[in-house]
Amino acid sequence: MDPLPAKPRRVGSRAARRIIAFGGHELGGNPHDRAVRDLLLDAAARRAGEAATREPGPPRICLLPTASGDPVEQCARFHGAFADRGCEVSDLSLFRLTRRPVALRDLLLSQDLIYVGGGSLVNLLAIWEAHDVGAMLRLAWQQGIVLGGQSAGAMCWFEAGVTKSWGPSTATAGLGYLPGALCVHYHGEPDRRAAFLAAVGRGMPGGYGLDDHAALIWEGERLAEALSLREGAGAYSVAVRDGEVVETALAARPVRLVETLPEADEIAELRQVLRIRPRLVRRA
Amino acid sequence: MEAGNPLLDDYVLEATGRERPRVCFLPSASGDADHYVVRFYRAFGADRCEPSHISLFRREQGPDDMRAHLLSQDLIYVGGGSVISLLGVWRAHGIDAILREAWRAGVVLCGLSAGSLCWFAEAVTGFHGTPRRIGGLGLLPFSNCVHYEREGDRRTAYRRLLAEGMAGGYAAEDGAALHFLGAELHRVVASRRAARGYRLDAVGERVVEMQIATTFLGERLAPVSPLPEVLSTAIAA
Repeated sequence: MDPLPAKPRRVGSRAARRIIAFGGHELGGNPHDRAVRDLLLDAAARRAGEAATREPGPPRICLLPTASGDPVEQCARFHGAFADRGCEVSDLSLFRLTRRPVALRDLLLSQDLIYVGGGSLVNLLAIWEAHDVGAMLRLAWQQGIVLGGQSAGAMCWFEAGVTKSWGPSTATAGLGYLPGALCVHYHGEPDRRAAFLAAVGRGMPGGYGLDDHAALIWEGERLAEALSLREGAGAYSVAVRDGEVVETALAARPVRLVETLPEADEIAELRQVLRIRPRLVRRA
Repeated sequence: MEAGNPLLDDYVLEATGRERPRVCFLPSASGDADHYVVRFYRAFGADRCEPSHISLFRREQGPDDMRAHLLSQDLIYVGGGSVISLLGVWRAHGIDAILREAWRAGVVLCGLSAGSLCWFAEAVTGFHGTPRRIGGLGLLPFSNCVHYEREGDRRTAYRRLLAEGMAGGYAAEDGAALHFLGAELHRVVASRRAARGYRLDAVGERVVEMQIATTFLGERLAPVSPLPEVLSTAIAA
């Protein structure tokens, strides 16, 4: 017998590590929010399809609402946005006890995509550290599980971010999976952008600015692509050149909502209801 | 903040020795849940105290100087939830050091569930999965276990952890409160007739549990304003 396994099992190659960072969005009904949702669905489905170690089944997406204290409303909105989209949705609260005990590590490592909501970056990282979730997420990333999030949930993956966790905009350290710093709500919150540019001028690592509905796609530690999911939503790189802080717009690929089948189904259903209605009226 | 039972709320207010004490609520262990903050203001109305709260998730709304605000209180009330999350957020905002300072300055500290565990050197948390041992702020050099109900898995877990070397300490059933003066247990009181507090220690390989004489607060009030039998039974339930 050969003492070595015939084929080493690949638990996610280095190239498979993916992070999607969003500058800010809701998960509401407007076309830009729905474009964000579809981007997340695609990424989860892609991972579900290519993971060799995974049992077959629909893509699994989990929300970590830690940064805002796990509010029930945020969980409800998330579940609402992904309901009937052919995926399995869950959320993980580090504040509320669920009816059944959860093994944090098993739950996280069984996902295809882990989405981190916005809120307080400082609280997010402190709570993750207390629960040792940071280490679990790193493992998830290494196994090819897509990590994503908006606002605090985007900045957390970088070396640093600009937070309002203490009130005024302040630079603070992140988990450092991705190189450089990230500033979210870039043109939406001018004081945040100003604080970022000033901090870079004082020696904080340079990095990126992201408007609401703009996104950066990372493969490993390499920036693969910048996306713009709304007219005017931009991604910027910020660096010090010759002692000056320089901001450069990145070429962002425009992504717009593609109306999908469920909407078409709804129209068909409406037509059917309209056909049936006269009969119902007559019967009454 | 027990539903329909103000006995422990009355007790902590009285412990301040003030007529209209300043009371600050820290709902951090629940992620600053709105409904919990509302419940606090209902239980600690402005008619009998000066209530306030601090949200560490919405710092822009609270007092600018958290230290000055907390040190000026007569009572700090810590709500329940996840003690691990609680301690993590407190450390990030320096609340742990401020509370230690407040305690030394004579501010009465209280809380339930996670808001009890946090004051001790060690505690039993049963938040996600199997109950396990965690470190707290260590103002009280004992271990603590809450929700110490008969047949509960916390009871079994606490005994196991003590046998494995956890410091001896105190357990409380729901409705029972451990009142410490300095680092010494002063008395055990309860808002429910059957609720008790316990002292547990490992002696060699055995764990010894002692039930502590517990004062039912409903009875204590009886001489002052006699309660009809029906009403006092309702409170005890």
